[in-house]
Amino acid sequence: MCVISNSFILDDPDLKDIDPTVLKHCHAAAATCILEAGRQKADISAISTCLEDCKLDKERIEQFCTEYQKNKDALEILLGSIGRSPLHITDVSWRLEYQIKNNQLHKTYQPSYLVTLNVENSNSGSHPDVSFSCTMEQLQDLVGKLKDAAKSLERATQM
Amino acid sequence: AGGAGRRGTGPGSGPGRKLNIGVDIIQHGVEGLVYLLTESSKLMISEVDFQDSINVLGFSDELNKSLLQLYLDNRKEIRSILGELAPRLPSYHSLEWRLDVQLASRSLRQQIKPAVTMKLHLNQNEDQTAQVLQTDPATLLHLIQQLEQALGEMKMNHCRRIVRNMK
Repeated sequence: MCVISNSFILDDPDLKDIDPTVLKHCHAAAATCILEAGRQKADISAISTCLEDCKLDKERIEQFCTEYQKNKDALEILLGSIGRSPLHITDVSWRLEYQIKNNQLHKTYQPSYLVTLNVENSNSGSHPDVSFSCTMEQLQDLVGKLKDAAKSLERATQM
Repeated sequence: AGGAGRRGTGPGSGPGRKLNIGVDIIQHGVEGLVYLLTESSKLMISEVDFQDSINVLGFSDELNKSLLQLYLDNRKEIRSILGELAPRLPSYHSLEWRLDVQLASRSLRQQIKPAVTMKLHLNQNEDQTAQVLQTDPATLLHLIQQLEQALGEMKMNHCRRIVRNMK
């Protein structure tokens, strides 16, 4: 679970008269409640019932639920992005070159592609890109396979 | 001679004894032959240029003919071996893919998150590596569009003109 910093609570001028320990407890309780509600994809009535059981008054419950509803989608996106997954491809760049000669061999006369896949690590964010060279035929093979995957995706969404 | 060239030039006592010549002379001969064939293949020189080049060495006509034939017979293979020595990046071998839908995780229940998981096989200096990668449907379509554009470039007039004029 992600760690939510409570430093902004402790520095807030409106709250400076309250005992910091109590503040920390309240913040932790609220954070836990919100995260659990998000994780379970709880609806407003379930949250209300839960808060009623905790003996909160109607006004506070309404305020809490309104704020929760406002941020529900952003919360779900955040929670959904936590977790391990393989390196995620974010973009691709390519370069087409025509080889003329190298120091071992002259008159090579061959087109060649250099493809770079920009990848992201779900944990640390950045990761060195995956680069490789390929001939035109190999690139056609790669594109063909990607198109198969896309077609398969399309069929799956229609089921 | 082509075979001996490939194995390297060590002091061969066998041929020396058979032809009654010193080991040094054999070694120089083999090295010279290797150099001649390698350089000619590397530069891909024409028959005429090859003949002109070896004429200055003052060999017999028969020997010149044999050398020319040796060059023509082995040129392709020598070039392919030299091609392996050039600097290379990892190269594409193949791609496997799989369609996944994430339904839940520890942090979020009840999801429907489609993804394409791939295994990219690359060759790097005789080793084959496999890298597992993943992407979402939108990025997949973007990848396809970009790479199709890349393939289309070779068919453009600009590239065609350059290829024509470089031969």
